[in-house]
Amino acid sequence: MNSDAIIAVQGLRKSYADVEAVRGIDFEVHAGEAFGILGPNGAGKTTTVEILEGLRPRSGGDARVLGFDPERQKQQLKDRIGVCLQATNLPAKIRAQEAIDLFGTFYSRSISSEKLLKRLQLWEKRNAFYETLSGGQKQRLAIALALVNDPQLLFLDEPTTGLDPQIRLEIHGLIEELKAEKRTVVLTTHYIEEAERLCNRVAIMDEGKIVAMGSPRELQQKSQEQSRIQIICAQPLIASQLPQWPDAVQATVDGDGRSLTVYSTRPARTLFEIMRWLDQQGLQLEDVHLKRPTLEDVFVELTGKKLRE
Amino acid sequence: MKTYLALIAIDLKLATRLRAVLFFQYIFPLIIFFVFALAFRAQRDPNQMTTVLTMSISLGVLGNGLFGAGMRTLQEREMNILRRYKVTPITPVPLLVASMVTGWVIFLPYIILVISLAHFLYHMPWPTRLGSLVVFISIGLIAFRAIGLVIASVANTMQEGTILVQLFYFPMLFLSGATVPAEIFPRMLQIVSNFIPATYLVFGMRGIMLRKESLFHDWKWLGALLITAAVGLTVGTKLFRWEKEEKIRKSAKLWIVAVLLPFVLLGAYQAYTGQNVIKPGIFGR
Repeated sequence: MNSDAIIAVQGLRKSYADVEAVRGIDFEVHAGEAFGILGPNGAGKTTTVEILEGLRPRSGGDARVLGFDPERQKQQLKDRIGVCLQATNLPAKIRAQEAIDLFGTFYSRSISSEKLLKRLQLWEKRNAFYETLSGGQKQRLAIALALVNDPQLLFLDEPTTGLDPQIRLEIHGLIEELKAEKRTVVLTTHYIEEAERLCNRVAIMDEGKIVAMGSPRELQQKSQEQSRIQIICAQPLIASQLPQWPDAVQATVDGDGRSLTVYSTRPARTLFEIMRWLDQQGLQLEDVHLKRPTLEDVFVELTGKKLRE
Repeated sequence: MKTYLALIAIDLKLATRLRAVLFFQYIFPLIIFFVFALAFRAQRDPNQMTTVLTMSISLGVLGNGLFGAGMRTLQEREMNILRRYKVTPITPVPLLVASMVTGWVIFLPYIILVISLAHFLYHMPWPTRLGSLVVFISIGLIAFRAIGLVIASVANTMQEGTILVQLFYFPMLFLSGATVPAEIFPRMLQIVSNFIPATYLVFGMRGIMLRKESLFHDWKWLGALLITAAVGLTVGTKLFRWEKEEKIRKSAKLWIVAVLLPFVLLGAYQAYTGQNVIKPGIFGR
């Protein structure tokens, strides 16, 4: 285990009767890092984090979280971490502030409910019953409860699932604030853009195994998928006169002849050569688009499945 | 300690905000109280009021115990509320203790209310052993809440829990003297009554009120209620489940028998020695 590893997992396995949900995975999460676990439903990501949160026993392997064994030292561990689970509820008639005050008494240290409510923009709703809060407000309250013990390590299990895009963006903003405070965040999600935007490193899980791990950029670069370069010119191009640019796999002229699409394995170099060629030909450039492979492309390439399958 | 106090405080607040609690803890038992008072002509005979009071309080204890503690735990598990508590460092103990204390605190004003109504409206004398009566009812309430808790612990779904609770509730309602005076039962049915926990609650209360018996007059009854409370709380803690996905094996339902064992033994003892819990009350005279 590295000295700054907050989480260290080795050969972690979990079986339910005949089903092996997690099949011997290894990874480390370092202090201050936002680590994403990405995968479709049933990939084993929730099982993995629930083992690390001390909620489920493991069937094999080793895990250390903040130096604690999540199975044998669960109370000490739970006192130090913050957890935002998917699909939880609070009593319908509890007020937002009462819930935070109550949960604060469960921990050896806690922050004031007023501070948390103001930070999560729930101060106006402090006296509202839980049943009257909107989906976004309930999720913000869930994050407030996860922060009540001022944890340095936070587990956010699909924190935006089922929320509308506007509220998802709000929650993304909140997670970015947590990152800026140097808290370590473990995020499970099946939203690609969430992982790309929020995570320093991502582990892609499928059928209980980690099929790839690295920063979103590293994973995109490892992909065999080609980047797509699209050029719009002021004058029409003639397809038969296009040269063979370095690393370009395919080049086509579309529409009225002014749009050129080139697929490349090294898009920066190809783009530079295209620009030089356009300049030599005296062609006027109107627009350029470069689309790199997304994590979704990487995932499809590695597993043959879509993330939301 | 702060966790216990905070949970008790919030449980009490939540209870006062729920109309169902108000209805089932106060209004419904009060309706039964007045209906029974009318049926037993308690206006004419203050002694009849003692029987009515016993019935009304027993109904309250059964409802509060079996439905209050058990069904609420089941409901909170089904609604993923307990799952939220699971990620915190607390154990089931403070949750269960808070549930017990809350149930008792909510029920206490009802006892005082019906005794006062019996005294002022129906001229029943104040019970000589009021302290013993309140302590006995409190122990009974905790024992029945513990039974409710064990039922909730072994039921995998709300539907299963409802069936199990009713399987216990109705025999206790009709065979213990809580609604139908047990003195009018045939001998065979009276023997069956000796195996029913609620019978000891009903006749324990009657003994304290009618015959001015002390709390320890029949220590075996008190012992059975206390053992049930202790075993029920221990089993309830051991089998406590935070999530609806955590299913319990079918054989775990046998824990209900373990909780009821003191009364099974007591019933068998009564049958063996030829004694009867059902002492002649007003109807037996």
